Amino acid sequence: MDFAALGLTLRLAMLTTLCLLVLATPLAAFIARRDALVARLLQATVALPLVLPPTVLGFYLLVTLGPATLFGRALIHLLGHPLAFTFTGLVVGSIVFSLPFAVLPLLLGFQSVDPVLTGTAAVLGASPLTVFHRITLPLARTSFLTAAVLTFAHTVGEFGVVLMIGGDIPGITRTLSISIFDQVQELNYAAANRTSLLLIAGSFLALLALYARRSSRRNSDA
Amino acid sequence: MPDILLPHHELTAEATLGPLHLHASLTLSAPWTVIFGPSGSGKSSLLLAACGLIPEAKVDFLGFSTDGSHTQLEKLATHRRALGYAPQHAALFPHLSAEDNIRFPSQVCESPSKNSDMIKNVLALFNLGGLADRMPARLSGGERRRVALARAFTVPNCRLMLLDEPFTGLDRKLRDDLLPAMQAWLAVRKIPVLSVTHDVDEALLLGADVIRIEDGRVLAQGPAAEVLATERERLLQTLS
Repeated sequence: MDFAALGLTLRLAMLTTLCLLVLATPLAAFIARRDALVARLLQATVALPLVLPPTVLGFYLLVTLGPATLFGRALIHLLGHPLAFTFTGLVVGSIVFSLPFAVLPLLLGFQSVDPVLTGTAAVLGASPLTVFHRITLPLARTSFLTAAVLTFAHTVGEFGVVLMIGGDIPGITRTLSISIFDQVQELNYAAANRTSLLLIAGSFLALLALYARRSSRRNSDA
Repeated sequence: MPDILLPHHELTAEATLGPLHLHASLTLSAPWTVIFGPSGSGKSSLLLAACGLIPEAKVDFLGFSTDGSHTQLEKLATHRRALGYAPQHAALFPHLSAEDNIRFPSQVCESPSKNSDMIKNVLALFNLGGLADRMPARLSGGERRRVALARAFTVPNCRLMLLDEPFTGLDRKLRDDLLPAMQAWLAVRKIPVLSVTHDVDEALLLGADVIRIEDGRVLAQGPAAEVLATERERLLQTLS
């Protein structure tokens, strides 16, 4: 077992999940509140990583963050080094790659809050921000758990983007999924098997916890 | 007969909502005005238009002060219109207890007060003392309705009370007890009411000004006994 890769993967997944929950909440709230074309365009853009090959995403991230673009040059100037092939670069890539897994559950949660409730709260004197934090957030709270678990699990499992912008640097950008790839290439099937089983068990338990909680909630509501 | 009353609010709303073409103008001058009409005639939509909750509607909503000045309420954001509102299906906040629902308006307003006497009075008015800690899912339909009414009554500095079918689901005895108590409470605070009903009995009992609407248009307005004369006759015939 590559423990350095395990630690790095958990750190990456945790950071990505935290950043994404902060970013995705206002984004999902914006999309949920509006029927305008802007919101639909934004929603389609957010969902794009679901259908794009990770290599496409990784390629453009690599180009964007590198010296080929104005943005990349400004970033390099600011940091003193390129973002690609660093842990921070991985976090940025993971945030883009896992964006739909955070935004879409939150969007679903916000949209499932009855507009009659939010409307009534507004008439009774609550400003839009107060309505959001007193009514929408508490009623959509389970979707935060869903978003967190899915983002975390998906970040642990990503491969293409991580390989493209992270390379395969032990202790810096080598995650578990890449370590499996290396182990297979070295024909070390036993090690690949152990790492894979760990990922299967972890992902299964995360999903089980999510669905068990959801069904117990449904039973207690009934 | 009461003196000639000056209007306190004027509401004009125009909108096409599915099959309904709403095009109605109301002048409210009585302490209690009832919009009477069949289901789907646009009664609830008029209240929603007053609240600013129908974005596609063209609405003019004037509020008159006692000094004769007026405010264009349609230009204010929904939460600044100082309206009490009890919607049709109670719409209690499911994650808050009955008491927290009732406290909500006084907590979210721009200058929150800790006036717990007012909450206590409203709980007593609607006979909800024993239910304060209950969650909405554990309340009966009639109890939910009363909590929704109580919640509307705690809006600070309320200028107009909008009640959508306020007594649906309450038994008659309870309604007949509650009505005079509510009217007295509102009279002391000089808060006028615009309510919606399809119940002739209720409109007559309130002794209110009645606006009869059908297919989104105002057909008649006046004292209940006049506007609802035919319904009243029919009701009396059925009884005798």
